[in-house]
Amino acid sequence: MATPILVSSCARAATSKEAAYRLDYPLAHARSTRVIAFDPAAAEVVRAVSDGPWGQAHFYTASVSGAELITLSGEARPMAAELEHSDSVIMVATNAINARAVAAVGAVCRERSTMTAGLLMTDEGSLAGDTLMAIRPYARILLVPAEHDDLFELLRATRA
Amino acid sequence: MLRPDINDLLTQTGPGTPMGDLFRRYWQPVLHTEELPEDGCPPVRVKILSERLIAVRTPEGEYGLMDEFCAHRGVSMFFGRVEEGGIRCPYHGWKYNAAGQAVDVPSELDNSDFCKNVKLRSYPLVKVGDILWAYLGDPAAQPPLPSWEFATVPEKQTFTSKRFQECNWLQALEGGIDSSHVTWLHGGGPSGKGLEADPLFAGSRGNHYNKNDLKPFFEVVENDGGLLIGARRNAEDGQYYWRVTPWVLPNFTMVPPRGDHPMHGHFWVPIDDENCWAWSFDYHPARELSVKEVDAMRAGAGVHSENIPGTYRPVANKENDYLIDRDKQRTGELFSGVKGIAIQDSSLQESMGPIVDRTKERLVATDAGIIKARQKLRRAVEALRDHGTEPVGNVPEHQAIRSVAIVLPADQPFVEGIGEAFQARPGVPQTTV
Repeated sequence: MATPILVSSCARAATSKEAAYRLDYPLAHARSTRVIAFDPAAAEVVRAVSDGPWGQAHFYTASVSGAELITLSGEARPMAAELEHSDSVIMVATNAINARAVAAVGAVCRERSTMTAGLLMTDEGSLAGDTLMAIRPYARILLVPAEHDDLFELLRATRA
Repeated sequence: MLRPDINDLLTQTGPGTPMGDLFRRYWQPVLHTEELPEDGCPPVRVKILSERLIAVRTPEGEYGLMDEFCAHRGVSMFFGRVEEGGIRCPYHGWKYNAAGQAVDVPSELDNSDFCKNVKLRSYPLVKVGDILWAYLGDPAAQPPLPSWEFATVPEKQTFTSKRFQECNWLQALEGGIDSSHVTWLHGGGPSGKGLEADPLFAGSRGNHYNKNDLKPFFEVVENDGGLLIGARRNAEDGQYYWRVTPWVLPNFTMVPPRGDHPMHGHFWVPIDDENCWAWSFDYHPARELSVKEVDAMRAGAGVHSENIPGTYRPVANKENDYLIDRDKQRTGELFSGVKGIAIQDSSLQESMGPIVDRTKERLVATDAGIIKARQKLRRAVEALRDHGTEPVGNVPEHQAIRSVAIVLPADQPFVEGIGEAFQARPGVPQTTV
C-alpha cells in the first residue's frame, strides 16, 4: 500500500506559478566539447559554427592519421592531449575519406569513456555508404543526414 | 538548453499563436466515440488548443463541434437540450444545428431572419476508428481525413484509451521521443524485472537485448513526415538489435513492438498550454486483439492507464503522488516506485511543472533526437508563419507508418535494413523481435 501524502509536504504547488518555480542561479557551461571535422567540406561547416558564443568548445580538423588535430588557425596539436580534458567529442564528416582518423579519435574516446556524437552531412543517396560505417562504431549518437545548423543546435543545447 | 522565446514558440498553442496555427493544420483526436455513445446523447465539453467547445451528436446521428457558449448571453451549451436537428440553449431557447448555425430564436417574430446572422464558430468532427477527430484550421487548407493504421484496421484489432496529463504537450511528446529513458524508468536498470513484468510486453526476445545492453547507441534519421529514431543494442553474432521509433509532426509517436504483442503509440494533444491529453493506442495489423489483451489494456497495462471510473483521469495522479510505493522502489520491484509505464511517464513529466523552463536544462549528446525534433517543429512553425508553407505529417503518405524492432547485420544502415517494414501495409504483420 502506498504511503499517504503527509501534511508536512509543504512544497506541493497550488498554482502554476508555484509549480514552475526554480532556484535562480547561473548555470556553468556543461560540456568541454571538441568538434572535429574529418574532411574539407566538414571543415567549412565547423569553421562557420566556431564563431558562436561557446564556452568550452574547441574546433579542429583532423590529420590523415588522426594523430594530430589542427586548430582552425592552422596549429597542429597531438590528438590524445587535446582530448584529455574533454568530456564530449562531436565528429563531423561529409564522406569517408578520413576513416582512419575517425577510428583513431573514436578509439581514444572509447578508452576514456568520452561522450561522442556524429554528424553525417551526406546526401540522402549516400546514407548506405562508407561514411556511416566509418563513424557508427564510435558515435554514441548519429544524425543521418545532419544539416548545417544541426551542429550549432547541438552545441547550444548541450551548453558547450 | 532552449532560448525562452523558442520555448514559448513551441509550447503555446492557443488561437493566434504560431504553434497553434501549426496544430490547426492537422486533424486531432478530441473524443473517444464512447463519449458520444448514441444518437441524441448528452453533449460533451471539449477543450482543445485552448478553445472551449461543445460536442453534440444529434438524434439524426450528425456530429457537431462548436463554441461552448450561446451567442445570446454566453451560457454554457453543456446545459443545453439535444433535440432534433441540433441543441437548444436552456436559458432562452435559442437553438443551433450541428454546424453551429442558429435555427430558432423563440423571442423573434415568426418571419424574422435574425437567425441567419447568428452562428457559433464550429469545426468539422468526424469518426475514424473509435475516435472523433476535429480540424480547427482554415477550411481552405483542410487536409485529407486521418488515415493512421491504428484507426483504420478492423474494429476488433484496435484499442484506444486516453488520460488527462497535467503538463504542456511538448513535455509529453519529448518523453515519447526520448528512447534512452526506457532502460531505466520502464526497464528498471540492470536489476529490474523490467518489461517482463508487463503482460503486454512479456516474452519478447527484445526484452533480453534491452536488459543485456544498458547503453544503447542512437541514430536519428530524417523521414518525410518527421524523424525515425533508431536505438541499437548488441545482439548475437555481432549483429545489432534495432528499435525504431517514428515521430510524425507535430504530435504522433509509436513505440517499437515486442514479440507478437500489439503495436502501440501515442498522440499528445494540447488541451491548453498547461494540460494535454495523452492518447494511447494498441493495434495488431493482422489479427484481432484477444480478450486477455484488451482486459490488460483496460486495467492499465502496457501504454494505458487505469482511470478513475467515469473519467479519463488516472487513479494514480498528481494529487496522490502517483501512489508511489517506496518499499518497491527500495527493493527494485518497481524502479521508480510508480506502477505502470503510462504513470511512470506522467509522474515525471508532470513533476517538471506545467511548462518546464528549458533554459535551465542540461541536455547531453544522446538527447539529439529531442534537439532535432525541436528544430524541425520550430522550422515548420516559422515556415508556415512566414511563408505559408504547408507542414508535413497531415497527408496519408506520412501517416502510413509503423515502428519496427529488428535484428540486422552490423554493417547495414537501419533504414536500408528495415526496408518497407516501417510503412503501414493492411493485413501485413509488423516487423518485430
